[in-house]
Amino acid sequence: MDFMIAIADGFIGMFQAGAEVFMGFMTGIIPLLVTLITAVNALTKMIGEEKINRFLQKITKYALLRYTVVPLIAVFFFTNPMCYTVGRFMPEKYKPAFYDSAVSFVHPITGLFPHANSAELFIWLGVATGYATAGGSQAQLGLMFLLTGLLVILMRGLVTERISAYMFKKQGYERILNEK
Amino acid sequence: MANHKTVIVSKGKNGWGGPLELTPTEEKKYVISVTGGGIHPVAREIARLSGAEVVDSFKNPVAKEQTLVAVIDCGGTARCGTYPRLRIPTVNVKVMSPSGPLAKFMTEDIFASGVTVGDIELVDSEAAVAAAQKTEADEAVVKNNEKIKETVAAKAEAVEDNSENNGYGEKKGVMGIIDKIAKGAGTFMNIMYQAGRDTIDTIIKNIIPFMAFVATLIGIINYTGIGEILANVLVPLSNNIGGLIILGVITSLPFLSPLLAPGAVIGAIIGTLVGNEIANGNIDMSIALPALFAINAQVGTDFIPVGLTLGEAKPETISVGAPAILFSRVITGPLAVVIAYFMSFTL
Repeated sequence: MDFMIAIADGFIGMFQAGAEVFMGFMTGIIPLLVTLITAVNALTKMIGEEKINRFLQKITKYALLRYTVVPLIAVFFFTNPMCYTVGRFMPEKYKPAFYDSAVSFVHPITGLFPHANSAELFIWLGVATGYATAGGSQAQLGLMFLLTGLLVILMRGLVTERISAYMFKKQGYERILNEK
Repeated sequence: MANHKTVIVSKGKNGWGGPLELTPTEEKKYVISVTGGGIHPVAREIARLSGAEVVDSFKNPVAKEQTLVAVIDCGGTARCGTYPRLRIPTVNVKVMSPSGPLAKFMTEDIFASGVTVGDIELVDSEAAVAAAQKTEADEAVVKNNEKIKETVAAKAEAVEDNSENNGYGEKKGVMGIIDKIAKGAGTFMNIMYQAGRDTIDTIIKNIIPFMAFVATLIGIINYTGIGEILANVLVPLSNNIGGLIILGVITSLPFLSPLLAPGAVIGAIIGTLVGNEIANGNIDMSIALPALFAINAQVGTDFIPVGLTLGEAKPETISVGAPAILFSRVITGPLAVVIAYFMSFTL
């Protein structure tokens, strides 16, 4: 009988441990997410998609902005996956690089703005909750994640732009390369 | 044309949506497989029975006007809604019901999930005609309903317009100001309320389910001691920059990355394990930032044709873009870890 009880204890204990973690998420993270996501949702609605689109259209021609500010604004306001629609404002030859750049930013942004990719928060949260438990500042890590993310997507955009230009040429799509 | 036949694709066991009735035509003759790792057997079977052509969307992208049906394998975040949003019939080989940010586009008339090769049937011509008529009738009903909805919406808008017209220009002075303030407050309240509703919706549909899954996983891992075994594997790899770069190389390998990426689930699990070890003091805190990039060099590689389609890219651009991005990751994946490592000195 004691043996059975030990098994039952172990079985339920495993899920009690899970329940504790879950409760930690519910009381620690969810309330913050609720208020933050609501505020940003409202901001997006107030500014209006059209205005954001017009602004993005103007600045896509500068490589430095195309792989930093454009993905940042696109991901912030349109969120994953609608942010990739911003690709339509640029010539065909930049689209692969822009996609690569934008998609690589959908996680770095979640450190400070979790609304942008709320379905995939745990890339960030998994590491960040551990970091906070160890005594670090989650906000500081979030900020660094965002800034480093901007550097990384700039680098990634420029590299992919070169590689795709080379491949367009090799495949005989010079027409696309010459498109303005 | 002579070989084009109608097939019916039903939802699989535990699946959702459907049945979809698909008839290829000269314009819409492609079954696209957006599954990564070659053409999915379900896509091949639909094409074989119906006489359509099957293509791997990663290698040979097809314009959306020519697409008969998209076969996807999405656990329920972004991709599963992309094609329904474009009104392209979508067959998901994974079991799921509508979720994710595009859930509202997934409707039964255009989406079926959990589909296996056994759920695809060829329709003989008579039945097909009857079924086609039935579908048309159904469509007519749907269209009618939509029309009714539209009229109602239009009426509602008209009413709103009227109220706006009445509000502006007629009242002046103090009353006008009060009116404007009230109207502004009303709009503001509406926006905030809708924003709140959207938020709670995402939290319930997307965030809490993932938390439930991760919490259960962490509970089991910590309680049973699997955690220690995993830590023995993970700690040596994650505790130094060399190991993280290796992890970055692994996750960015072109044949592996599209398989690791869907739903960011694998990255999230490794991230949670690394976070757990940081919390337990086994992995140094300074590793957190580079680790975030090392576990995620594969981000979005499963989504390239879809993401480019959303950006209105031409099929040629997609056919060049997909390998270009996959190849670029081999360079930029590990490089991102190095950048993050140097940035982490400021923490």
